[in-house]
Amino acid sequence: MAEEQQLPGASGEEDTGDGPHPPAEDDRGDAGESSKEQAANAIPNLLRMLKAAESRWTPGQGRDGTKEGVTEALKTDMKIQLTEQEEEFNKRPMKTVPRTLSRSISQSSTVSYSSVSSDCLEDESSPRNKVQKTSKGTSDFCIKDIKRADFGRREIAIAEQEMPALMVLRKRAGAEKPLSGAKVVGCTHVTAQTAVLIETLALLGAQCRWAACNIFSTQNAVAAALAEGGTCVFAWKEETEDDFWWCIDRCVGADIWQPNVILDDGGDLTHWIDKKHPGLFKKIRGVVEESVTGVYRLYQLAKDGKLCVAAMNVNDSVTKQKFDNLYCCKESILDGLKRTTDFMFGGKQVLVCGYGEVGKGCCAALRAMGGVVYVTEVDPICALQACMDGFRVVQLNQVIRQVDVVITCTGNKQVVAREHLERMKNGCIVCNMGHSDTEIHLTSLQTPELRWERVRPLVDHIIWPDGRRIVLLAEGRLLNLSCSTVPTFVLSITATTQALALIELFNAPEGRYKQDVYLLPKKLDEYVASLHLPSFDAHLTELTDEQAKYLGISKHGPFKPNYYRY
Amino acid sequence: MTRACDVDKHTQEDNRSATSTEDLLSFFWVPGNERTVSVNMSESTGEAKQASKEVKESENVAEKYSALTVSKNTEMNMEELSSAFSAVPTHKPVKKQIQFVEDKQEFSRFPTKAGRRSLSRSISQSSTDSYSSAASYTDSSDDETSPRDKTQVNSKGSGDFCVKNIRQAEFGRREIEIAEQDMSALLALRKRAQSEKPLAGAKIVGCTHITAQTAVLIETLVALGAQCRWTACNIYSTQNEVAAALSEIGVAVFAWKGESEDDFWWCIDRCVNNEEWQPNMILDDGGDLTHWMYKKYPNVFKKIRGIVEESVTGVHRLYQLSKAGKLCVPAMNVNDSVTKQKFDNLYCCRESILDGLKRTTDVMFGGKQVVVCGYGEVGKGCCAALKALGAIVYITEIDPICALQACMDGFRVVKLNEVIRQVDIIITCTGNKNVVTRDQLDRMKNGSIVCNMGHSNTEIDVASLRTPELTWERVRSQVDHVIWPDGKRVILLAEGRLLNLSCSTVPTFVLSITATTQALAMIELYNAPEGRYKQDVYLLPKKMDEYVASLHLATFDAHLTELSDEQAKYLGLNKNGPFKPNYYRY
Repeated sequence: MAEEQQLPGASGEEDTGDGPHPPAEDDRGDAGESSKEQAANAIPNLLRMLKAAESRWTPGQGRDGTKEGVTEALKTDMKIQLTEQEEEFNKRPMKTVPRTLSRSISQSSTVSYSSVSSDCLEDESSPRNKVQKTSKGTSDFCIKDIKRADFGRREIAIAEQEMPALMVLRKRAGAEKPLSGAKVVGCTHVTAQTAVLIETLALLGAQCRWAACNIFSTQNAVAAALAEGGTCVFAWKEETEDDFWWCIDRCVGADIWQPNVILDDGGDLTHWIDKKHPGLFKKIRGVVEESVTGVYRLYQLAKDGKLCVAAMNVNDSVTKQKFDNLYCCKESILDGLKRTTDFMFGGKQVLVCGYGEVGKGCCAALRAMGGVVYVTEVDPICALQACMDGFRVVQLNQVIRQVDVVITCTGNKQVVAREHLERMKNGCIVCNMGHSDTEIHLTSLQTPELRWERVRPLVDHIIWPDGRRIVLLAEGRLLNLSCSTVPTFVLSITATTQALALIELFNAPEGRYKQDVYLLPKKLDEYVASLHLPSFDAHLTELTDEQAKYLGISKHGPFKPNYYRY
Repeated sequence: MTRACDVDKHTQEDNRSATSTEDLLSFFWVPGNERTVSVNMSESTGEAKQASKEVKESENVAEKYSALTVSKNTEMNMEELSSAFSAVPTHKPVKKQIQFVEDKQEFSRFPTKAGRRSLSRSISQSSTDSYSSAASYTDSSDDETSPRDKTQVNSKGSGDFCVKNIRQAEFGRREIEIAEQDMSALLALRKRAQSEKPLAGAKIVGCTHITAQTAVLIETLVALGAQCRWTACNIYSTQNEVAAALSEIGVAVFAWKGESEDDFWWCIDRCVNNEEWQPNMILDDGGDLTHWMYKKYPNVFKKIRGIVEESVTGVHRLYQLSKAGKLCVPAMNVNDSVTKQKFDNLYCCRESILDGLKRTTDVMFGGKQVVVCGYGEVGKGCCAALKALGAIVYITEIDPICALQACMDGFRVVKLNEVIRQVDIIITCTGNKNVVTRDQLDRMKNGSIVCNMGHSNTEIDVASLRTPELTWERVRSQVDHVIWPDGKRVILLAEGRLLNLSCSTVPTFVLSITATTQALAMIELYNAPEGRYKQDVYLLPKKMDEYVASLHLATFDAHLTELSDEQAKYLGLNKNGPFKPNYYRY
């Protein structure tokens, strides 16, 4: 869905007409729905979302233990403000703590950005002050405008097309109602894709109350459609910080309603309940957490012995990880580069820094297009893999003068430093697929002798005194989030994983899950995968009884031991 | 364990005494594979005895074929080669004798072995790979006295070894030098660690295939300060001249090609049982040595600091011991290290599938429809190679996650029955049994090729093809035409055994990975501070795994990037690794 909407405006044709922008300007348009006005708004929205995430995560609020992943969300638009930036970079080392191997933030959890914008008619009164009723007369929700439910319904219908797994799940489990009796309180992006998840949960028997995990990402129309459908939604686009917590609190609804399962993205909801309504945990059977950040917070709680319910880490399930990283990046690297630069890959020399999952995806895609790919790597095992896959493993310095594109996917900082940028050839493209915006050392480029010229949304030319230009994409932020879309199919994987995790937690016999953080059982991981196979018209082979016995496994899985590397 | 051992002995005896059963494979296999399952097998031993009698004809083929593969030093070999050629049935297709009874039995044996699943190849490739160069052509000057009865001394006057003929040492040295070319990692290790002598004081007793590649390993251990005594883990795989070369430089080697079962245990015993020399480390491949010491010299374990075990089988036995609480020293499982696994499976099979098919059938891959059963590491390797040559690849898979991976990699996931009529090649790599059944073979089109890359010889139901109405025709070594009454031919490779072991070689580079891993595991175990390793089976620490990889990077002229202090701090890592957490999937 996101793609369809975005493609027309995406190449930035309209915007390029505007000529060069000063980098600090805020009006870069990229994504957006049909109207141009919205297109112009989309990116600032994204940035504001990120900023919003930041404000809720600043160390000042006493949550500084947060994972590196969080800083991804923190990063906001790159004003060229040397002082602040400098500070920020100074800050980083202190924040470090754990290492993230997966992308810094779950892609799927941010994906909604690509289809965020939905409002045109602005009425200024806060939804908190309005009284609205659904057509059935209920009013236990708080959204922007219930009258837009019809439009939201269509959005949801589009999303359903690309989320076949959840539709299948509805069909298969609809009769059993495995979630009947479940009272799910959720805090995720409220978008068409999540709506499909929420309605699936409802169809499986759950009662849902929902809040948004980001103050900017909500699609108001979708929220309206959900409210109309009977889900108690408390979310609108552009909430204030105060609104945000108010929504969460209303959503938990401690007085009238006792949730027994939590579905969280980022850990805010869990945190709030832990702080304000600890009593609720007595009835809660489990927490399902999707994001790197939230999972990290859960692990910390568990470490401190403060976790008082079972929690399910869906972020690290095999299927989700592969889709968030390998497959998704394999597609988006090409898309992102094409949209921004109309670059042709054949015969171009490309340097990919890092050969983890993301790097592997990028390298495979680029080679398939005929690019000549070099790899830099710090880990000898990954380096050896690169060798065996036929890529030259080099140091950045060896090839920096000759490459046409530099792509960073290390998760590290300052992988491409000023000294490297100095030596790149004219027209070299620099972009980041890895982690936050730390990989390319941008502050080092903000010196008086270099001229920045914005040639397109998210495309800056940095011009050296001798006239040499470096093309910097998305100001060093994640190319795939900024300049390409995350396919609904990837979201479908995540949503299905969440739904199954909920079912598992809710139906698990007493004692299977203790007060700890669990990975999704392999069998469910396999089930998520199997629900997506029909999209490919893939036909799974079944083991015969004899074969299953020979292998010593059940006919229905799990098929691999836990340590299997896939 | 005792019971298992008795069974072992039987099976080994069978297989060892039977004049070369199938070919190279079987002896490697047999000691390995049978043992894993020996516990389940106890009742089937009687049967097994007969089973290993086999078609005589394949005997020569095996040896000659392996001679063929050693084409490295051609001059030496020309004569042998030509004779090998004439012996190989390529030139005179022999109608294969269909010996129902025996064969049937052999196949009916397999199901009882079931037991456990191995995800990795059923046996470590690297541990079998020496086969490719196993044939000792110098043996032609055979004298019939058993080495046990001969007294030999090396040039330094030491007689503490037992090999076929010490005078072959010079020739063996050249073999070793050839192997060294492709094992630069070990040479690098020698250079880097030679001054420290991290193994000074180590007394290593080893039991592996004795081939040029192992010799490079042994000499590396010696260069690092260890004293070594060595014996062969397989009665057929020893390269006599290499054993001689090792003896010449002072390693006490007890091994020759074509040992008897009795010789085999005698060698192990001589290797261990020495008043003046008490080993403190064990390097084992298959677990025989460890087992023998447990049985005969349990006291020696007081001094042992650790066991390094390479094969799937041996590792399995160690885990069993550990489970039973009987393991009294730390053991290192090098079989499951990332680097070794990837090389044994993904990379190695990616190359050998093409090699094996080309050598046997000269098939051209472009546009051919291939179905690959199973999309694990082996399947991924095969598919990548075939796709690269322009083949149209279909996948069958039981595991939805792997199936989804196949989809995302652009392969059609099908059921075998859907495509069986149209495909030109079927490759099995599931680790399962009866993946391709008679029913499916009946429906294949004329001229289609069936082969197995997966596991043992269970994947293709070959037994079902031994019925009177089908004619078997051996058209080349390892290539059978199975002819249906209507004239349809299906080409069966290596009689359903592992294609890559039977019909292609395992590169020395892959062995180098294994040998380096073993050497580092030795160093780690020997130097570990008291208490780091308890009486359990350990995986190689990730850092060592990374070191193995880094030692091999030089071959590719690959330049590793180093983290700056600041970057390392940012990531919360040590600059020198380990770089990934344990759960990382690579």
